[in-house]
Amino acid sequence: MSEYTQYLQEKDKIDVLLNQGYSIKSITENLSGAFVEFERITGSTITSETLHILTADARKYFSVKLIHQ
Amino acid sequence: MADLRTNIAGIESPNPFWLASAPPTNSGYQVQRAFEAGWGGAVWKTLGDPILNVSSRFAAVSFNGQKVAGFNNIELITDRPLEVNLKEIYETKKKFPNHAIIASLMVEPKQEKWHEIVKRVEEAGVDGLELNFGCPHGMAERGMGAASGQVPSLVEQQTYWVKEVAKTPVIVKLTPNITDITATAEAAVNGGADAISMINTINSLAGVDIDTWNTIPHVGGKGAHGGYCGPAVKPIALNMVGECARHSHINVPISGIGGISNWQDAVEFMLMGSTSVQVCTAAMHHGFRIVEDMIDGLSNYLDGKGIQSVTEIIGKSVPKYSDWGDLDLNYKIVARINNDVCINCNKCHIACEDTSHQCIDMYTEADGTKGLRVREEDCVGCNLCSIVCPEDGAIDMVEMTHELPPMTWNERQAALGKVACEVDIAAK
Ligand SMILES: Cc1cc2nc3c(=O)[nH]c(=O)nc-3n(C[C@H](O)[C@H](O)[C@H](O)COP(=O)(O)O)c2cc1C
Repeated sequence: MSEYTQYLQEKDKIDVLLNQGYSIKSITENLSGAFVEFERITGSTITSETLHILTADARKYFSVKLIHQ
Repeated sequence: MADLRTNIAGIESPNPFWLASAPPTNSGYQVQRAFEAGWGGAVWKTLGDPILNVSSRFAAVSFNGQKVAGFNNIELITDRPLEVNLKEIYETKKKFPNHAIIASLMVEPKQEKWHEIVKRVEEAGVDGLELNFGCPHGMAERGMGAASGQVPSLVEQQTYWVKEVAKTPVIVKLTPNITDITATAEAAVNGGADAISMINTINSLAGVDIDTWNTIPHVGGKGAHGGYCGPAVKPIALNMVGECARHSHINVPISGIGGISNWQDAVEFMLMGSTSVQVCTAAMHHGFRIVEDMIDGLSNYLDGKGIQSVTEIIGKSVPKYSDWGDLDLNYKIVARINNDVCINCNKCHIACEDTSHQCIDMYTEADGTKGLRVREEDCVGCNLCSIVCPEDGAIDMVEMTHELPPMTWNERQAALGKVACEVDIAAK
């Protein structure tokens, strides 16, 4: 799979969560890439999801989303 | 015609082109011929206690048929007594009162030594002084040149001693044989330097003869490291000039040196903050008359841009020179192959496939025509294909419209720092 296709898939996953009302709660960056924890609060329920982001372009993408969230 | 007159820290010259302190400025005969050819100034071959030289002294590095891509020397400072040089400086200044003569000086790091030579040299009528803290070989083994120039406190102290007695502007010439040249540049400024110049030569060994196993050059079978200069060092010098020009504590003019071979090189150095430029290797390679093309080229360039005076271009590129962390991570260019110009040599494909991002495809049309195409979405805009392409205009690097808003690494890290963020998995 080309790196670009992989980026589009990761970007999609980020967009899906953001469109569902999640926001970025924490980010852990290490040798394996970035682990982005998303959180959504609906009433008293807190749900969270973590994405393991591998591509450089998707790491740029979630950073832009974070700056503008 | 644009005004080329230059004033660096009070030293005036008819144009910004000076000969650097080196063999071309060894004697009055040479400097006078240089001024006749059109050079605006000359930094006299470094004066000090007369030295002894070896034979041979120079070596050059050729690259793919390009002679003198780099130049290496193990020559020291002047081997002539001070009185002889001063007499010739006096005569030359009398004949060419409007040209700049700068005396390059190097003595032991002792206050009385500096005081003595400064007073004697200034009596001969020089327009300024250049302190040679850069010679990387020979003199350095005796505690002078680069040995002094690599220690900021020694640069500051010796500059201060010179300024105690100097009546003319003092330029401090810096060695590139140091990790961060701004440290010694700042020391020179703290010592009272009126200007700085860079670069002197870079520690080097031109080569090893694989038949005799001698070094190149060698002196009867033995070699020692020398100083490297010429076109090969230009990028190193240009960066050092730029780093000093954009440094907030280095607020004196700069005389740029290192690989300047034509007017375009000179313009680059001036845009990056040089007020004047100095040339050695190009003059040694092609003779004094290269300055004619330099003057014409610079004049035409300025006229073409509607610029009245050469001083207007000084430092114009400095605000564009920044830290990596301030570059836009979302700026994107991609390679585009112009198949009308492309000669199908496949060098771009090979370079991309073997050493970059595998995004240049070879294709064959139904009619058998072969071509190359960039998969733009996979291109990272590294420039390698256009660098290796032998055909001008066959590959353009084109700017893409921003998909994402501009974001620098520093902005990204600041944003990440605001959310709960870990950068080390060991902490988990
Ligand atoms: C053979 C030779 C002798 C040199 N001697 C001196 C010297 O006496 N004093 C000095 O400050 N620099 C000396 N230099 C360095 C030059 O002034 C200049 O800084 C360096 O060569 C870089 O410029 P270029 O690339 O135009 O040659 C010498 C360079 C060469 C090649």
